[in-house]
Amino acid sequence: MPAEAQEAATKGETAYRSFPVLGSRLAVWAVAQLHLNFAAFILGVPIFAVIIEAVGWRTGDARYDWLSHELVKLTFAAFSTTALLGALLLFLFVGYYPRFWAYMTSVFFPTYWVYALLFFLETFTVYLWYYGWDWLSGSRKWIHVGLGVLSNLFGTAILFVANSWVTFMISPAGVDESGKLTGGVWAAITNFTWMPINIHRLIANIVFGGTICAAYAAFRFLAAKTDEERARYDWMGYIGNFIALAAFIVLPFAGYWLGREIYAFNQTMGITMMGGFMSWLWIIQAILIGILFLGSNYYLWLGMERIPGSERYRKYVPPMLIILTIGFMVWATPRSMVVTLDEARAMGGTHHPLLGFFGVMSAKNTVVNLMILTTFLSFILYRRANRVSTRPWVSAGMAVQWAAFAAAAVVVVFYGVYGYFVESIVRIGFSVYQVGAVLICIALVMAVDIPMFKGARTTGQIRWGTIAPRSQYVLILLAVTFTWLMGLMGFARSGIRQHWHVYGILRDTSPEAVTPALGYASNVITVVTIAFFALVMFIFWLGGLADRGKAGAHAHAAAPVMAGGSDPHP
Amino acid sequence: MRVPVALKVGVFSVAVMGGYTYFANSIPQIESKPPQELSLEGGNVTPAQLIKAGEEIYKTKGTCEICHRIGQKGTRAPDLAGVGGRAAKTKPGMAAKAYIIESLIHPQAYVVEGYPPIMPAVDKPPIALNRSEVWALTAFLESLGGNVDVTLNDVPASVGAAAAGGGGAAAAEVRIPGDPKAGEAVFAGKGTCIACHKAGKIGASPVGPDLSQIAKIQTPDYIMKKILDPKGSGTVAGFPPGVMPQTFGQTLTSREYVDLVAFLLTLK
Repeated sequence: MPAEAQEAATKGETAYRSFPVLGSRLAVWAVAQLHLNFAAFILGVPIFAVIIEAVGWRTGDARYDWLSHELVKLTFAAFSTTALLGALLLFLFVGYYPRFWAYMTSVFFPTYWVYALLFFLETFTVYLWYYGWDWLSGSRKWIHVGLGVLSNLFGTAILFVANSWVTFMISPAGVDESGKLTGGVWAAITNFTWMPINIHRLIANIVFGGTICAAYAAFRFLAAKTDEERARYDWMGYIGNFIALAAFIVLPFAGYWLGREIYAFNQTMGITMMGGFMSWLWIIQAILIGILFLGSNYYLWLGMERIPGSERYRKYVPPMLIILTIGFMVWATPRSMVVTLDEARAMGGTHHPLLGFFGVMSAKNTVVNLMILTTFLSFILYRRANRVSTRPWVSAGMAVQWAAFAAAAVVVVFYGVYGYFVESIVRIGFSVYQVGAVLICIALVMAVDIPMFKGARTTGQIRWGTIAPRSQYVLILLAVTFTWLMGLMGFARSGIRQHWHVYGILRDTSPEAVTPALGYASNVITVVTIAFFALVMFIFWLGGLADRGKAGAHAHAAAPVMAGGSDPHP
Repeated sequence: MRVPVALKVGVFSVAVMGGYTYFANSIPQIESKPPQELSLEGGNVTPAQLIKAGEEIYKTKGTCEICHRIGQKGTRAPDLAGVGGRAAKTKPGMAAKAYIIESLIHPQAYVVEGYPPIMPAVDKPPIALNRSEVWALTAFLESLGGNVDVTLNDVPASVGAAAAGGGGAAAAEVRIPGDPKAGEAVFAGKGTCIACHKAGKIGASPVGPDLSQIAKIQTPDYIMKKILDPKGSGTVAGFPPGVMPQTFGQTLTSREYVDLVAFLLTLK
């Protein structure tokens, strides 16, 4: 028998109940994904809201303060929906998976109190942050920014507590074979995948919050009636996308770490995840991430059109597009394919004789690192689009920057090729060198770029609001794609447990223990994502009702300067 | 007429997600189903049937193929081609079957040079093979270049006991609130089990597996489920599928059902 794990809860009680029509699993899945979407939003948006508020505070630029307030307002409106969905999810677990929930409670009960306390503290702090905006301005602004930081710390702590439950289900620790807690609740919390998922979700939440806010700005841009409105929301969309992109660039590295920890916890689970029934999931993921890379770059290139002086950098766009497209294609190449017997004979196996080489991790790690480098180059060009450095050492600085790019690319490609000639255990270690080279390059280039363009001569001001409307659809594409990707990754995280509630400890013995195929999963993800966006639009509409007829009511609600008079860079 | 922005954005978003959904539905659709419990004992299993059952476990529940190949060198785990012959020589004084069983349930006891010690114990979760499954798997591995001589008694009785849905040791500890005597009457009477099964001194029909030691080799969970859902619980190797009626959940009362289970759990 699954011993302690089962015994903790059974006591003759029901293990499962059936949710009407939908079934219990689908009900829990839908509500969990919705809750996670909202939770990511209310945790991610305040992180960059406080960053933007701090930028505004230090630079004295009122636009940032206005934007930060707008973002917290959006968060505020979504707060109660998140809590409501969390409660609904809890009711579903208690009602339809009582045995599972009783077992989780037997392990994690002390953390419930911590969670509740943190939630209270976060709510209190966010309320104070939002309502104290005008009260804590001027010389007391530092207190206000401090409140923003504090609310984010509480929010992050909530995330970490909830992650301990989720990650325990994947990689249980602190329990014996029968599921009995032996190492204390802290051992159960600090399981193999806890910290990697904490970091991965924290970064992903920032990306998510950024893309949603950029999409909100895009919607407002498209619906704008005046040039001033268009200028304001063009700028807001740019800032949202900028922060999303900055966080997105480091997200794959957090993903590597998570994958490595899954392998360290259990090789079988790791191999099942990457090479088993889920292998095609990573092809879909690659396509989505490829679209995110291409979309982000395309938005930057379109944005450069409204910056005088950017013409000199247009020549770099075609080669960057080629690198991104080739990278996209390689990343989306499957290692093995399900083929007919005749096709397999023609190919000499399930691996294509040429394309099969692009399906392995060596190739994929190489191209994703090159895509990150290319995206970073796009950002650097955008950043200097209307600026000309006046430093006497500009030539040397540029040479160092190009050398850093070249060296990083050489390291990435070298280890990518070398990876084909070594054992897998050695090859896995190569990704660390590749990632390291890219990160060093980013740090070095920025270390040169910031002083090099400080006080630079300008070739003209950005014409905010004149960007092509199709760029706003790119922002919406990015938000939709990232949200959908979050749903897919949620399925992957849950699906690698297969027929276990808690991997190796508490078996799923319900009639719905089958882990569904990707087609079914994608149908669910799409329906829930549509529901999420419908709810978000409704909440935003509700949030906007309060401001109708109150234009100019807030002292901090200064709109960004109109076309021809602002600096692009946060 | 001017199309509202909300409509344009909505259609665009749904079209994007529709594209992703269409692609995800176009690729191979693979479900991951929970493994079936396999029972081999009690039936007159021939070596050929045992090997076939073992091969099935090798490819499915055992998840061996994730790392091992037969006739192909892997980077994670040794090639198993000829392992039945090699096993007898790997550890001096240890028979092939003993070595294979040790490798399955104590994989770190001997690690083939050049490979990382990553193999999990197959009788422990998450793989959690039961005793009869380890028996069949051993037979299959012996058949790869060696002689199949493993018997159930070669597999330690403790194998699978700690696993989810484990073995006989755990079964013995479970108390079912039924009357075994009354259950025996159900077995021979209303349940008509005796028409196909032998259970110790009663019954003799070879239509279904011999249940004389069913409590020793199967879990209470399995026994309870098998009565109510024979089709969904798998069929013992060597016996035709679909013969056992699916209707005991309707024809037996709760009392009779519990009594029958209590009786079956006395069969060791």
